[in-house]
Amino acid sequence: MSELWVNMGPQHPMTHGLWNLRIKIDGELVLDVDPEIGYLHRGIEKICEYRRYNEVVTLMDRSCYVAGLAWEQLYFMASEQALGVEVPQRAEYIRVLCQELQRLASHLIWYGAWVQDLGLMTPFLYSVRDRDLILDLFQSFTGARMTYEYMRVGGVRNDVPVGFSDKCRKVMDWIEDRLKEYEALCDRSDIFLKRTVGVGILKAKDCIRNGVTGPMLRSAGVARDLRRDRPYSAYPELDFEVAIHDGADAFGRYRVRMEEMRQSIHIVRQVLDWLDKKPGPVLAENVPRFVGTPSPPPGLELYVKRRGFPKGRGFSAMEEPHGEALAYIINEGAEHPYRAKLRSPVFVNISAAKEYLVGYRVSDIPVIMGSVDVCLGEADR
Amino acid sequence: MTDTRSIWDQLLVKVQEKFKSDIISTSSRPGVLAILKVRPESIVKLCTFLRDTCTFKHCAMVAGVDWKDRVEVLYHLWSDAFKGYLELTLDLPAEDPHVASVARVWPGASWHEREAWDLLGIRFDGHPDLRRVLMPEGYRFHPLKKSFELREPEELEVKSRHV
Amino acid sequence: MAQTLYQFVNMIVVYLLNWWGPYWPTLSPYGAFWAVWISYVIVGLIVVLGSLFNVIVLIWWERKLIGRFMDRRGAMHVGFAGIFQNFADGFKLFRKQPFSPKDADQVGYYFAPAAYMVVSLLILGFLPISFGFFGGSVPLSLLLALALFSFAPLFIFIAAWSSNNKYSLIGGMRTAAQLVAYEIPLLLAIVAVVALTGTFDLSAIVQDQANYGWFAVPLILGLIVFFVAMLAEVERIPFDLPEAEAELVEGWNTEIGGMLFAFTMFTDYVRALVGCYLIVLLFLGGWSMPAAIASFPLAGIIWFQVKTYFVFSIFIWVRAALPRVRTDQLLQVGWKRLLPLSMVNIVWAVALVVLGWPHLHWPGGW
Repeated sequence: MSELWVNMGPQHPMTHGLWNLRIKIDGELVLDVDPEIGYLHRGIEKICEYRRYNEVVTLMDRSCYVAGLAWEQLYFMASEQALGVEVPQRAEYIRVLCQELQRLASHLIWYGAWVQDLGLMTPFLYSVRDRDLILDLFQSFTGARMTYEYMRVGGVRNDVPVGFSDKCRKVMDWIEDRLKEYEALCDRSDIFLKRTVGVGILKAKDCIRNGVTGPMLRSAGVARDLRRDRPYSAYPELDFEVAIHDGADAFGRYRVRMEEMRQSIHIVRQVLDWLDKKPGPVLAENVPRFVGTPSPPPGLELYVKRRGFPKGRGFSAMEEPHGEALAYIINEGAEHPYRAKLRSPVFVNISAAKEYLVGYRVSDIPVIMGSVDVCLGEADR
Repeated sequence: MTDTRSIWDQLLVKVQEKFKSDIISTSSRPGVLAILKVRPESIVKLCTFLRDTCTFKHCAMVAGVDWKDRVEVLYHLWSDAFKGYLELTLDLPAEDPHVASVARVWPGASWHEREAWDLLGIRFDGHPDLRRVLMPEGYRFHPLKKSFELREPEELEVKSRHV
Repeated sequence: MAQTLYQFVNMIVVYLLNWWGPYWPTLSPYGAFWAVWISYVIVGLIVVLGSLFNVIVLIWWERKLIGRFMDRRGAMHVGFAGIFQNFADGFKLFRKQPFSPKDADQVGYYFAPAAYMVVSLLILGFLPISFGFFGGSVPLSLLLALALFSFAPLFIFIAAWSSNNKYSLIGGMRTAAQLVAYEIPLLLAIVAVVALTGTFDLSAIVQDQANYGWFAVPLILGLIVFFVAMLAEVERIPFDLPEAEAELVEGWNTEIGGMLFAFTMFTDYVRALVGCYLIVLLFLGGWSMPAAIASFPLAGIIWFQVKTYFVFSIFIWVRAALPRVRTDQLLQVGWKRLLPLSMVNIVWAVALVVLGWPHLHWPGGW
């Protein structure tokens, strides 16, 4: 059969999100790749310029809907630097708790969706049920299961409820047990190994050259994890290991994410120990009053005339479940950000598709793209 | 830790000396290694040097900012050796801003530059494939520019101009 | 007592006609003619409706059991424990407007799925479900069953090609390659059974197993080969790449919707049922049962169905637990592993025969 360009998407069960992967194939072999994104572009960066600082939180939740709290923290770390606000210690620990629970939830649903693409239908239901336990935990202290709107400039909105720590520990024990089942279903299955080992290889040099970060980079043997290399929030005081693998293939990425889930459970336990022992405030007191609520506080104009709006820039980088995410906020004398730039790891990981898809078969594409963990909300913003 | 810091300080001094005519100013902010303001003509030369000799092998972000009178382009580079970000910034004139592309230096920057072209209208000369990435092809505007106004719903006219 | 289903039905029909005859003067001169043909029609209806009902129960069982594997309950609402769910699905598809894409080849598009279903249902007509319980008796019933079973790749390919869709074409080609590749180990496993019994008649094969024990014991290798090849032939996971949802949406029947889609899905399960029947008939003793339960009415049929559903449960278990095998790996397994194993199996069966395996069906004795 001669070469032809085939559209996998935008309506396609494999894509897990709305994008178009154009592949040029010759029979089963992939010769060239041209990913097209932008179907989910909602102009989040533009809208940020029209909202007050606290009001942006709704947009950040929806940029990556699977890992909303991660993006909330990314944005708020940058705006706190731009506005000069310092976050209390307890709020930092609660933010880390949110991060790690979010990482667990994101990796659980990644796992379920990925093995379902491979044909193994059963673990999808198991992992979604485990993710449901985590979403119940989120509901108990943020009030929502998916779009949380929980963080604010200067901390978080409210503290965790009484009894949360015991519930959370039970859930962590349960999930740690279940991880053994998931690994048994995959690591010991010959068919699974045959389909994922040696598939979608992206070596360390190519990863770094193409800006690929996150589990893809760590599966190639590069031990870069921003939580360890450029620690933020409460991470300097926490003890965990960076998960790496040296296969650089789909199987390596799967192993890295499973190990990250274990490390997340370990971190959550440490955070719960700290939270039990040290009560305190969860929202900073010196937050400027213009950061806002839908109705401006009384006396705003007088306040502004006296104090003026600050000017500054804030930059934050964090290890989001999909990779390295950056935010750059420019604050230029108004109650809205002047420019909010977000760097999404998935945006860059998809851009390198030519390197890791060409030369494989069409049947390998769901395996490879699944192992890249695509979440379109943050790639398109 | 302090060793890396002092090595970086010495390296920064050497970079400033070597590129004396290209670096306009240096400043700093907590959280980044340094902020270098450079001339647009020498960005590729400087980036190649940073990649090869100064271990900045990872280009994390290329962003554009639309000020009223100029366009600013920001580059964030990461080094595994120094474990930090270096920020480069350059200013371009507001009409027809264009600058040499660093996609040949770091292929990872290519989609960031496409996005800057798409949303802000900054041209990157020498980019292998400069076309829109987020907006559909054939879209006539660059939405992130300040001149592209975002109307709140109650202010929209019955017939929108931006179709 | 009636030996076959036909004789049983004929007996009843003759009795009824004799009872009615005096009131129907025009009928009685042709009484024998009517008796025969009415019996045929009734037997046909019983077999067709029975098979359709059996397949629907099979689909229900699959949905429930695979639900349980996935820690959920399967269909629950329509009828008690979801018994009527499949009827509801069938009625829904029945109501849909038949359509075809504008550029599809109309004849192939409408003809191929329908032919696929008809040919597969034909097999159920003469597979014996119990002693004497079949639609028609054919001395070479096994051979005929396999011949009809092998029509599938042809009709699948015609359907895929007529759909005028790149995805369907790729799926159709993959399916045809897979089905043809796995026919060979299937047939060779059967050859071993035939070598042991010397006949293609399924009723005689079951009779042999009743006398000498299940063929699963001496031909365990053949059973394994047949099982794996049958999984590939009915396109179930781990061999369902042709209709892999994640890659090709639905493979060769991507463009087929409405009632034609119902035909296709239904036929997949008809073929799965035929596969299970063949496994039970050839290797697991058919309807031969311990003497303790032989006295129940319809015991043969019930015992046969129990064994069939047991084999199908293993099909479902495999589907719940394994990922999909890639096409090239699949073909490798078929040609490089199953084929040699089935050859070894044949050699073993012939060795058994030479060593004196008793069988009474070779013409002229042995």
